[in-house]
Amino acid sequence: MISVVGLSHKSAPIEVREQFALPAERVPALLTELVARPEVGEALLVSTCNRVELVAAARSGAPLDAVARASRDALAALAPGAPPGALYALTGGGAVKHLFGVASSLDSLVLGEPQILGQVKEAYEVARRAGTVGAVLHRTLSRALHTAKLVRSRTAIGSGQVSVPSVAAELARRIFGDLSGSSVLLVGSGDMAETVARLLQSSGARLLVVGRTREKVDALARAVGGEGRGWDALGATLGEVDIVITSTSAPGHVIELEHVKQAQKKRRGKSQFLIDLAVPRDVDPKVQGRDGVFLYNIDDLSQVVADSLKTRGREALLAQEIIDAEVQSFDRWADAEQATPLIVALRERIRAALAAELARSLKGRLRHLGAAEREALETMLDASVNRLLHVPSTRLRDAATLAELETPGLPELTTALEHLFALDEDADAEASLPPPGVAAASASPRGESAELASAPDVAKLGTR
Amino acid sequence: MDALATIAFYLGVIAYSAASTLFFLDLARQGSARSLWGPRVLAAAAALHAVHVITASLVLNRCPVESLHFGLSFSALVAVAAFLVLRRYASLDAVGVIVAPAALTFLVGAQFVGVEVTSDPLISRPLLVLHVTANVLGVGLFVVAGAAGLLFLVLERRLQKHRAAGLGGRLPSLDTLDRSMHRLLLGGFPLLSFGVVTGALFSRHLEDLSGAAFARTLFGFLTWIVLAAVLVLRRVAGVRGRRAAYGTLAGVLCVLLVVVVYAVRLGGHGS
Repeated sequence: MISVVGLSHKSAPIEVREQFALPAERVPALLTELVARPEVGEALLVSTCNRVELVAAARSGAPLDAVARASRDALAALAPGAPPGALYALTGGGAVKHLFGVASSLDSLVLGEPQILGQVKEAYEVARRAGTVGAVLHRTLSRALHTAKLVRSRTAIGSGQVSVPSVAAELARRIFGDLSGSSVLLVGSGDMAETVARLLQSSGARLLVVGRTREKVDALARAVGGEGRGWDALGATLGEVDIVITSTSAPGHVIELEHVKQAQKKRRGKSQFLIDLAVPRDVDPKVQGRDGVFLYNIDDLSQVVADSLKTRGREALLAQEIIDAEVQSFDRWADAEQATPLIVALRERIRAALAAELARSLKGRLRHLGAAEREALETMLDASVNRLLHVPSTRLRDAATLAELETPGLPELTTALEHLFALDEDADAEASLPPPGVAAASASPRGESAELASAPDVAKLGTR
Repeated sequence: MDALATIAFYLGVIAYSAASTLFFLDLARQGSARSLWGPRVLAAAAALHAVHVITASLVLNRCPVESLHFGLSFSALVAVAAFLVLRRYASLDAVGVIVAPAALTFLVGAQFVGVEVTSDPLISRPLLVLHVTANVLGVGLFVVAGAAGLLFLVLERRLQKHRAAGLGGRLPSLDTLDRSMHRLLLGGFPLLSFGVVTGALFSRHLEDLSGAAFARTLFGFLTWIVLAAVLVLRRVAGVRGRRAAYGTLAGVLCVLLVVVVYAVRLGGHGS
């Protein structure tokens, strides 16, 4: 199955998490390098403000522990200065349960927040374009998204309008009261930052936009109805505004303590609200605690939201039950999938034998048959194989999923069948086996999400 | 008349207690809708309080500004009136959670202070009336300013520490509190200045400046210096927010110390 290695708001503070932040353009390279390792078959990276997690599947025969180690090495290389032990690792059922919980927003700082679903889909898309997902991650992600939708539809975990942008706007009102005379500076861009800016603007605040690329600044300023300014105007503009929203992808701080001190002098002690939505953070944390300066980063805002939504905790229990049921169902499917290669091999073996006999007859006593009759015989042959193998296939899947003492298990049946039908000796038959992923694709669990793109060429990845 | 004063007093105590409870419950309640019951009950309490002050002063044939008993009580009335007027222009209802109990304390506390007037014959009576009136009005305004300052510090600390959840929509904004605090100081400062100057003049007429008289004169000057510093620093150096709130509270504390020194009457003159 899969492994999940990473860190989240639950395991590491923002100071540590921001060291693992990876620019979007570098994600495909990271994934490609990871699947190039002999033990890793598939990989994708879930990277949000609150988490960085590598989800990986093993290459055929490789142990999951080795996959987790490879993932840990890949992530650790991103942040050499991070404390040892900053990363957690989950494998097998635990990893699946975690991933389902993440997609369902049970592991989010703001319980029930809806953005995570889109972020998981985006992570899948990035990996798909990079060619690093195969059947296993496709199935797992599909199932995770399906579970997330079940949770949202069957519980009230997403009810209410509390969100990071709305809380940021409310905090601004808490500080300034009426925002109609206030001014807001948007530094950089980002969906959440723009949402906050628009919320404040709708309350009557004047909007200024500053960024490194003038064209982008002007476009954003036009889009949000603000005034664009060049990057070199940042320092001067800071002194003019009541609220600053930063969301740049800069690797370091763009607003230093000295900037804020200068701005405070210029503002003659008037309060200033700094909303830092960037990871890594844009505003030097030393600013925190200065008289009249209120600095909130993404963790602080999310925590306020989470505190406001404690009632969602009850729904979380219900959601956890749904996830547990879905994980069980997924486990059963995954267990049953262990029998698939054997079933496919058996089917191919028997069909090949029957087809060979039929071909001989069609060249001999039955050579007078026309095309329609030959086609009918082919159909009859397929139906016979299906009928013949229906019960054995069912029992093989049962053996994979049900551990009953009085019936032989999958390993025993596999050994017996391989011996009886010489499956392990027939090179041709073995070569004709479809890759496990393709076989898996033919037996998807019920309720699979159709939103993900179809499974990529798994044969190339060779995963199981 | 005496019975009416007594009834008005007890009803006033009950009404102030109810208003304090209502303000507290409103603050503790979730949701953003403001309840008007707190201010309404507080207004009723102030009306009963006024009835008590007027009828009691008539019964005793004392001008309310000539004794500390009525002076204290009257200061509380001024504070409540200032609060009720101010809340019409700014969302300040939460300040009632401090003003209402303070008014109750002043009303009840005044009962333990004597009603007799012990002015020195050397002091001009009209000037004394103006001195006490200015101080009573000033104390009333400073009590509300102190309440706003206290609330400012609590709210500011919670916002700085990111404990903003559950603050609800009923709390005033920091800017509103800061502005209100400043305006109340601006309104009270001329009254305080007048009180300090006239108080200094009275002290010159007193032959033996007792310890209590010295202490209240000292605290009077200290209050004036602290509050003047708060106002001047705000104007000149833009000092506002947390530091201004601390300054305001320090000034209000000095004012209360003056009142306490008056109240305990450490053997001095009770002008």
